[in-house]
Amino acid sequence: MKSKTALFLCSALMLSACDGPNGNTKEETKESVTFELPQAFPSTYSAQPSETVLIRNARIIDGTGEPTDATSLMITDGKIAAIGADIDGGDADVIDADGGFVTPGMIDIHSHLGNYASPGIRAHSDGNEITSPITSEVDAEHGVWPQDPGFDEALQGGVTTLHILPGSANLFGGRGVTLRNVPSRTVQGMKFPDAPETLKMACGENPKRVYGDKGGPGSRMGNVAGYRKNWVKAAEYKKKIEAGDEPTRDLQLETLAGVLNGDILVNMHCYRADEMAQIMDLANEFDYKVTTFHHAVESYKIADLLAENDVCSAVWADWYGFKAESFDGIPENLPFVHAAGACAMIHSDDQYNIQRLNQEVAKAWAAGNRAGLDISKDEAWQWLSTNPAKALGILDQTGTLEVGKRADVIIWNGDPFSTYSRPQSVFVDGARLFDVEQRIKPQSDFRLGTEVER
Amino acid sequence: MTRTLLTLTAALALATPAAAQDMFIDNATIVTATDVRPDTDIEIRNGRIARIGANLRASEEVPVQMGGFVTPGLFAPYSTLGLVEIGGEASTNDIGSEAEGSSVSELAADSFNPYSVHIANARMRGVTHAVVAPSPDGDSIFAGTGIIIDLSGDFGSVIDEAAFVHVAIGQRGAGLAGGSRAAAMAQLRGALRDATRTYDDPDDGDVLSRADAAALRPAVNGRIPLMVSVSRASDMMRLIALKDEFSRLDMILVGAEEAHLIAGELASADMKVIVDPQENLPASFDSVNASFDNVLILQAAGVDYAIANLGALGVSKAGTLNQHAGNAVGNGLSRQAAFAAITDTPARWFGLPTNSLEVGDAASLVVWDGDPFEVTSAPVAIMIDGENVGTDSRMRRLRDRYNPLSNSTQPHKYR
Repeated sequence: MKSKTALFLCSALMLSACDGPNGNTKEETKESVTFELPQAFPSTYSAQPSETVLIRNARIIDGTGEPTDATSLMITDGKIAAIGADIDGGDADVIDADGGFVTPGMIDIHSHLGNYASPGIRAHSDGNEITSPITSEVDAEHGVWPQDPGFDEALQGGVTTLHILPGSANLFGGRGVTLRNVPSRTVQGMKFPDAPETLKMACGENPKRVYGDKGGPGSRMGNVAGYRKNWVKAAEYKKKIEAGDEPTRDLQLETLAGVLNGDILVNMHCYRADEMAQIMDLANEFDYKVTTFHHAVESYKIADLLAENDVCSAVWADWYGFKAESFDGIPENLPFVHAAGACAMIHSDDQYNIQRLNQEVAKAWAAGNRAGLDISKDEAWQWLSTNPAKALGILDQTGTLEVGKRADVIIWNGDPFSTYSRPQSVFVDGARLFDVEQRIKPQSDFRLGTEVER
Repeated sequence: MTRTLLTLTAALALATPAAAQDMFIDNATIVTATDVRPDTDIEIRNGRIARIGANLRASEEVPVQMGGFVTPGLFAPYSTLGLVEIGGEASTNDIGSEAEGSSVSELAADSFNPYSVHIANARMRGVTHAVVAPSPDGDSIFAGTGIIIDLSGDFGSVIDEAAFVHVAIGQRGAGLAGGSRAAAMAQLRGALRDATRTYDDPDDGDVLSRADAAALRPAVNGRIPLMVSVSRASDMMRLIALKDEFSRLDMILVGAEEAHLIAGELASADMKVIVDPQENLPASFDSVNASFDNVLILQAAGVDYAIANLGALGVSKAGTLNQHAGNAVGNGLSRQAAFAAITDTPARWFGLPTNSLEVGDAASLVVWDGDPFEVTSAPVAIMIDGENVGTDSRMRRLRDRYNPLSNSTQPHKYR
C-alpha cells in the first residue's frame, strides 16, 4: 500500500526525485499509471486486551440469516475461535448465558456521533460543511469528537461499529469514516483498520433548499446537473492521472475519482423512489456504483429495481412526515425491501435511536410479518449487523458470529426483539467494554464533574 | 387462521358501520392503569361494554375478535397532532407563530385539523387521546393555548378547546425572551401579574396585551394547567418558587430531564411532570444530568408524572408512546406505573374520566395482538367512545398498495 501511495504522489506532484531508474522525464514519455487513492490519517486502532472466554448455554443468532444449532461460542485473542454445540473451553473463563440470546455486535451505517456531539451546542456542530454544494474534499473524521457521550450510550445499546457521515446539505457532502466503538483519545484510535473509504452524497430537498438562494442548485434538476458536471470533471482528472499526466492534486476530484475507480463506496441520502431510480441511471452513465441509499423512505416502492441494481437501503423503522419526501414512510419498508431480495438494513441517524436499533428492527420485522410476510428473527437480524457490514465492506471481519471474525459479541438479558431486553455484556474484539454485572462502562470526559451526585 | 378472522372483522367493520359497534373479544388479558385481568371475555353491544367475564359465549351475530390484550386507549400527554402535516413545509405547519404582540390567545383549536393523516397513523398504534400543544416562537415565551383531543378524526374530536397554556423557560425561553433566563422569568412573572390585573386600556399590561392576559387568567387561577417546557433543575426550582406569589398555579413541567435531582421538592410542591424515559444524553447544558433513572426516581418520590415521546421528529412521536413507556419498564419501572403514565394520569390532569373498562362504560379500548408495551405488538381493533374506528390509515393503504404479496397485475395507481 505504501509504495502505491508513493507512486501516485510522484505522478501527481511531479517530484523529480521519484523518477525511475531510467531517468525518464514527463516531456519524454508519459507512462500510463493506475490511479491509486492516497491514504492519510491512518488508523492507530489497537484492540483492548481480549478475554479468553467460553459463552455457553446460549440461544445464538449468528447473523448468517439461518438458524444455528450452536449454543456455545469461544473467544480467543479477540477472535471468534469456535462456535458450536459442544466446545471444550480448556482454561477459558466460562459465561453461562442461561438460555439467553447471544448475537453479533450491531453496526450503525448512519450515525453523526462525534460530529454532532452532545451537548448539541453550536461549537459541536461539525457534521456538515454548508459552504458549497460540492465538498467532496472534507472528511467526517475531521469533525468527530471522541468524547461525545453518545458513543458510550451506543455501546451500552450494543453498537460495536459505526459509520459517521457528513450531513446532507451538499450534493457531495464528503467522506465518511467507519469507527470501532471503543474508548480512545483520538479518532485515529477508533478508525476501523482498512475499512473502505466512503462518500456521502445527497438527493432531493436538502441541497436545493440550502443552496436555492445561494447560487444553486435550486431544484432537483439542478441537483442532477450538479452531480453530472462533477462526475465529468472527476473522469477527466482520473484520465489525466492514468495517462501519466501529473495534474495538481485536487482533493475534491480525488474523492470522486476514487469512486469511479471503485475504491470509495457511495452512500447516498435519498428518500423518494423516483429519485433513487434516476440516481441509479446516473451511476450507470458514469460507470460507478451506489452502494447504499440512506433513509430511503420509499425504497418499498421500487424494491425490485433496487434488487436488480444490487443497491442496499438503510432505513428507519417508522420516522416519516417531517419533509415532503418522507411523507410516504411506512413501518413495512425494511421487510418489504428485504422480501424483494434487495439488501436492507436499519440505521439510526440519531443519538437516541442508535441506543435501541434492535427495537427498531423488531418493530419493522413485526409489521412485515403482520402484512403477511414470514421472516424469521434469524433472517431479520441481518438488518442489524450483517447487511451494514456488507455495505461498509467489512463483512469479512465482523457482522456475523463466524470462526475467525472479530469477536464483536452481545450477551442479552432477553430476546433482542423485545422492548424489555438489554445488552448485559458487550465485547469488541474480545474485550469486554460494557458489562452490567461487573459495572464496566465507559464514561466520556464530558460527564466527569458535570453530573451531580444525587 | 387468526389473521383471517381479524381481517374479516375489519372488513365487516368497514362495510356495515351500524353493526360495527358490536364486538365480542374472546379470551383477552385486560390491562388498565389499576389492574390486570387475564382470561377475560368482553362483549360490546351498541358501543357499550355489556358483559365482562370468564368463558362467556358471544351473542348471535356479534363479530368475534380474538383477544390478545385489551387496554384503554393510550393518551399521549404531549403531541402536535393536527397542527402540522409536513414539519418542514411552513405552509402546512401551524405549530408556532412568530406573530408580534400575540401569544397566549393563539388557540391551537383554531389550527387543529381532525383530518390530518397523522391522526389515523398514530391511532392505528393504539393512541386514542392526546394533548395537542403549540410551540413558542418569535419573541414571546408563550406558545398559546392547547387542546385535548380524541383521535376519532372527526369534528367532534376536540374535547377541551382551552385546556392549558404552554410556555417555555430555561434555555429555550431565554432565547425567545432576548438572551437570558432572567429575561424569560421576568416575562413569565410579568405575564402572570398582567393576568390578575384589570385592563382599562388594551396596552395596560407590562407584558401581555389585554387579549393575552384574558387567555392566561384561567391558568393563573389554577382552572387550567400551565404547561412549562423546562429541563434544568435550577429552572424547575425557580418555578416552584413562583408558587409563593401565584399559589393556585397548576404546573405541568415538560421535559424535566433533571427532575430526579429535585424529586422531593417537586412532589412537595405538587408539580406535575411529563418525561421521556428515553432521554439519557446531555442533549444541552440544560440537561447534563439526563438519565434513564429519572422516571424511576420520580416514581419512588411520589411525583405525579406522565410519559411521552419528546424526541426528534414531531409527527411520528405520538405513535411510539407504547415503546417509550415500555422502555421505562425495561429499565425497572413497574408495568402498572408505566401504563398509568400513558393513560389515566394525563386523563386525570385534564379532567377526563379515567378508564378502567367496566360494564356499562362506552367502549373506549384497544385490542392488541400482544403485550402492548412490546414494539412487536399492534392494535387489531380500536373503539373510541363506543365507536369502532378501525385500524385504517394512510400508512396502511400505502402498505397494502405496495405489499410484495399482492398478486395484482395492475399498475400501482390502480391498486
